[in-house]
Amino acid sequence: MDRADSETFDEFKDSFAYGERTDLTFKFLKRLTPDAAAEALRQMLSEIGTSLDTGDLTRLHDLIVEWQITAYAGAERSYRYEQAPFTPLRRPLADCRVGMVTSSGHFVAGDDPAPFGVADMTQVEAVERIFDFLREAPVLSTIPRDTSADELRVRHGGYDIRSAVKDHNVVFPRDALLELAAQGRIGEVAENLYSFPGAAAQGRLLQVLPEWVEALAGDRLDALLLVPV
Amino acid sequence: MSVGHVARAAEQAGISTVGIYVAAFRHVAEVMALPRTLVTRHPFGRPVGPVGDKARHRAVVTAALDMVGAVDHGGAVATMPGRFDAGRHNRRD
Repeated sequence: MDRADSETFDEFKDSFAYGERTDLTFKFLKRLTPDAAAEALRQMLSEIGTSLDTGDLTRLHDLIVEWQITAYAGAERSYRYEQAPFTPLRRPLADCRVGMVTSSGHFVAGDDPAPFGVADMTQVEAVERIFDFLREAPVLSTIPRDTSADELRVRHGGYDIRSAVKDHNVVFPRDALLELAAQGRIGEVAENLYSFPGAAAQGRLLQVLPEWVEALAGDRLDALLLVPV
Repeated sequence: MSVGHVARAAEQAGISTVGIYVAAFRHVAEVMALPRTLVTRHPFGRPVGPVGDKARHRAVVTAALDMVGAVDHGGAVATMPGRFDAGRHNRRD
């Protein structure tokens, strides 16, 4: 069967989200109505056309951000809290020990959390098994602050890791933290930083969270930088 | 939601926290009533900035940590000035 004759536009736009055209930067298309998705694609294609003359893709990038915002504006909100917890900073930033937790799915080579017992799971397999990840508790990986970029690995079935592979700092901004410490803007960076794949069962995350908090408390942190993806 | 749970638990354990959220996830920070949130108008997967843009990474992280020292109440949400400008730093060879 000729797919061009049989595939609907709905099927086409949805195929970018864990379908035959999976591209996690554009999985937001599935969340849009068909009319909105068509308009998003029209605008992006128009900007690509304009860029052929200008070489400037800035507006295209803005459009991607704007349509991602539109797509998630009506996202399901299964949690709602009325009160925000608040701990005031105890001392000036220049005297603080700062830690970091990201949900980017980073880990150190040789310390692969091996999800589901699979050693050296590829990113492609992680994407294929996203619904398995969403049923399990995430594993928190410890990343010593001085880990070399060559030793850092990233794998996460829920987002496009292309940027993170090229430069961990886009989601795991360890280098900026070290710079700020060297400049005296913060006191020091904690010896251990942490990352986990955020696509996980939230109820199971809550079950392991006390252990995570105990580890953070043991690091005697004053402040914690959090980076979700 | 995952990082939001970490933020709330850490804050309740006495650690001051701040999260860097892409704009499409701003609502997550709001419905979870997180202590401090810096929103960046960046695409998914690049909350801190484009590949190789050390100046943007430094500016975003600095702005986030400055919130920790400056904010005196929970639920604070600020938007990072500036846009996602990958073109200044990266070209496909």
